[in-house]
Amino acid sequence: MPTINLRGAQKNYGVNSANAVSDLDLEIRDGEFMCLLGPSGCGKTTTLRMIAGLENLSGGEIRVGDRVVDCVSGGVFVPPEKREMGLVFQSYALWPHLTIERNTDFGLRLRKLPKAEREERVERVMQALDIAKYRDRYPSQLSGGQQQRVALARMLAINPGVLLLDEPLSNLDARLRLEMRAELKRLHKEFKTTIVFVTHDQWEAMTLATTIAVMNEGTLQQIGTPNDIYDRPANRFVAEFVGSPPINILDFGDPGTSDVTDKAEAYLAAHLPGLRSIGSVGIRPEAIGYAARTEDVPEGSFSGETTVTGVLPTGGNWILELRTDNHTLFLTTHVPPRVEQGARVLFFAPPEALHVFDADGRRIAEADDRLRSTATYN
Amino acid sequence: MALLSESAKAVAAANGPAAPTAWQAWRYRLKVALREPTTLIGVLTALLFTYLIVVPIISIVLDAARVQFGHERRLSKDVGEFTLYYLDRVLFSPVSADLFWRPLLNTLSVAMGAILLSLVIGTVLAWLISRTDMFGRRWFATALIVPYMLPAWTFALAWTTLFKNRTVGGQPGWLEAVGLTPPDWLAYGRFPITIILALHYTPFVILLFGSALRRFDSQLEDSARILGARHHQVALQIILPLMRPALLSSMVLIFAKCLGEFGVPYVLGLPVKFEVLSTSLFRSIASRQMGVAGVIAGSIMLIGIITLLIDARLVREARRFVTIGSKGSMDRQSRLGRMRLPAAGFAATVFLMSVGLPLLTLFLSTIMKLPARFTLDNFTLDYWIGRDLDTVALKTGILLSPDLWAAAKNTLTIVGLASVTSGILGLLVGYVVIRTPVRLLSVYLRQVTFLPYLVPGIAFAAAYLSLFAVPRGPMPALYGTVVILVLALIADQMPYASRAGISAMTQLGKDPEEAAQIAGAGWLRRMTSIVIPIQKGSLVTGVLLPFISGIKGLSLFVILAVPSTDVLTTYSLRLVDYHYTQAANAVVLIIAAIAYLGTLIAQKLTRTNLAEGLGS
Repeated sequence: MPTINLRGAQKNYGVNSANAVSDLDLEIRDGEFMCLLGPSGCGKTTTLRMIAGLENLSGGEIRVGDRVVDCVSGGVFVPPEKREMGLVFQSYALWPHLTIERNTDFGLRLRKLPKAEREERVERVMQALDIAKYRDRYPSQLSGGQQQRVALARMLAINPGVLLLDEPLSNLDARLRLEMRAELKRLHKEFKTTIVFVTHDQWEAMTLATTIAVMNEGTLQQIGTPNDIYDRPANRFVAEFVGSPPINILDFGDPGTSDVTDKAEAYLAAHLPGLRSIGSVGIRPEAIGYAARTEDVPEGSFSGETTVTGVLPTGGNWILELRTDNHTLFLTTHVPPRVEQGARVLFFAPPEALHVFDADGRRIAEADDRLRSTATYN
Repeated sequence: MALLSESAKAVAAANGPAAPTAWQAWRYRLKVALREPTTLIGVLTALLFTYLIVVPIISIVLDAARVQFGHERRLSKDVGEFTLYYLDRVLFSPVSADLFWRPLLNTLSVAMGAILLSLVIGTVLAWLISRTDMFGRRWFATALIVPYMLPAWTFALAWTTLFKNRTVGGQPGWLEAVGLTPPDWLAYGRFPITIILALHYTPFVILLFGSALRRFDSQLEDSARILGARHHQVALQIILPLMRPALLSSMVLIFAKCLGEFGVPYVLGLPVKFEVLSTSLFRSIASRQMGVAGVIAGSIMLIGIITLLIDARLVREARRFVTIGSKGSMDRQSRLGRMRLPAAGFAATVFLMSVGLPLLTLFLSTIMKLPARFTLDNFTLDYWIGRDLDTVALKTGILLSPDLWAAAKNTLTIVGLASVTSGILGLLVGYVVIRTPVRLLSVYLRQVTFLPYLVPGIAFAAAYLSLFAVPRGPMPALYGTVVILVLALIADQMPYASRAGISAMTQLGKDPEEAAQIAGAGWLRRMTSIVIPIQKGSLVTGVLLPFISGIKGLSLFVILAVPSTDVLTTYSLRLVDYHYTQAANAVVLIIAAIAYLGTLIAQKLTRTNLAEGLGS
């Protein structure tokens, strides 16, 4: 499948409503496993449906390779049935009046393939997804996980160049979800299809995707590998949306209101002289350490005094809630904590763990390099 | 974030395609809209219903303000010119009291009485059925709905069979026959009409109030009780306010139904000149006073529209409450203890009064030569299957009369044709309303197919008469043909058919069809292999519901049918007029049986409680 290109894609439902998707530029390359990640209502499903052709554009264009499939100013609209893509719906959308086999066979019949070839292909996908034994049942007789497999098989049978998945795992229980994730990864390898996957679950995105596109309020926030997204969030939204427990943000909005933000401001002023207009700084919970004595705090790190107000075990990991005057910080550790609630401790974070954002919430990339070099000096 | 999207826009402007001009955007939208026949079908059905629904209504309203044929001299204007004469005649002239004001007052008083009585009986029964351990409550839940499945004037005929006095000729009533002459107020007019309408519409209250009671979250009750509220405090301060929308809504619906009710006041009101709006309208039409009829029909429509607008408001208000109850709503029952038997007795009495007694009376009357004489030699099957009877006309039993079979055949063809058509149209309307990208079309179709609901059948029939009685344009005069009945029936049933279609398509959702589209299926293929097979069940409902209500419908036919297009209902009414009591009652029993069995079959086929569908 050639590259799919969205250029300035825009969608609004009705003249006066806000854009569901505005000016979206997105490139999906052959063989990619791309996740569209974002909170509900961010426009990720709309984007997927625009690619499939189920939603027409309000502006911009979509190309598949050199072919324009959707373009408002050019007056081009290729209907979904002619786009040769596969889409698995969140609700699975199996046809209730057809057996599993007929569901799987439906697309092949439409393509008027010879009977022998149809049977062979249906057999292959049903075997691959382990649903051959249900071939004569109706969708209502299957469990959610089995229905999910049928929905996938139905689309894989027509061997689409690109497979679109709309939150396909959200209706499954935790264990089944884990299994299906592994299955999807395997299918991606085996069938070599391009996959575009919509989810609001960051773990799903992290574990499956080769590329993640984070969206919010109809606009693309950042696009990159899972590591990029986590380690170098492009802005505060991405930083706060990805990661659990969420990143600690120290907002420099009102100076003097909080002891720990003042400290952070002073620390950054010292380590990044000349860098102005810092709006906030973020520290991931796992990057924060704590110590009982000043001597144990690594030199050059950002640190401060704090009280432990909560110790929350999460099974193998612990979340510590730290309170400094009027600011709460969370840190996570996999080492059993040796402190009690109410203990006075020092928290610390190495300089390279600080994510520095400007007043508009954008990442200051310059700060990263300078902080990293600070770290190597010490 | 605002700034972020600003910057994203800047990037897009730099390398993305130019923003489309208004013309380009319009052309693109048109292309998308016309890509599939959905929009075309939508436009065609919209035109059809404009012609079948909107135009007749406009026509009769215009009639009210135009000089009618035969009045040119008196008004010294030409036919069709504007005049306020009819408005003045109906509302302000010396005859206005007889034409409009007294019938209006009678309509209002009968409706209020019926509402009050059915609320009292209905709420108690609804509570007994849905929230107590009364004996046989499951059975009663179905049995007490039966009155609504039968034509209302079945009860009117039963009433006359029992209470008719010497004011009217023909066979005497049973009470008269045993020597007790019932006074006029008991035999005819306001009192019996009110009682019968109340019994007929009590199922409304049972259904609406009962379902509200069942959905009521009992955690709300429990919370109040835990805070120390006593039983009556819970009832007055928690349950009643939350039930108010359901109660008001059933009141409004009953009122709207009473407004259009024709058969009952026709049978029971005429002997004592007790007129309601619908009978006054009928009289105007019968005497060819189309201008006056236009004013009266317009008034009925106006009252109907206002009433249902109020209902729409109430429903919206009710929706505010719905979100509260969800999880904890359970079918908790109050224990009646010693009151269990008396409660069941009460329900049984209501059932006997509203179903058992009327049907039994009607049946007995058809097999007895002289009323109320219970001796063996008085019983006969002659009225059903007799030959060479000693009567002026109708010399055979009703089952042997060719007129009955002609009427039955007419009924089946007319009502059958109309309901199959409206069922299919309903599904199409549902499809277009849900699927078309043209919002205006969707809204218009939804509204226009609902419009007949606001217009009582008798006024609607008058509108059809006004439009189709004379040839207009390419349309020949349709009065006296089967076509006008079929068209009027289709239009009259569209609210139910289109609602069934819309709700079926809403429930189906887009997904199964979109999945087929993704798999490569074009429009026709999706309709034939996905949409229609899945919607088989609701198509059956969409045909059966109009069929049942068409079989027992009277008001449309009484105005539009002529002897050659007699259907069962008008045939029995004609028999009533000629005082062939036994035969008339037999025909009514046949209609009741068809309507009841039809409902049962529909219920079996769709495995749903159709009674609830009838109520909406």
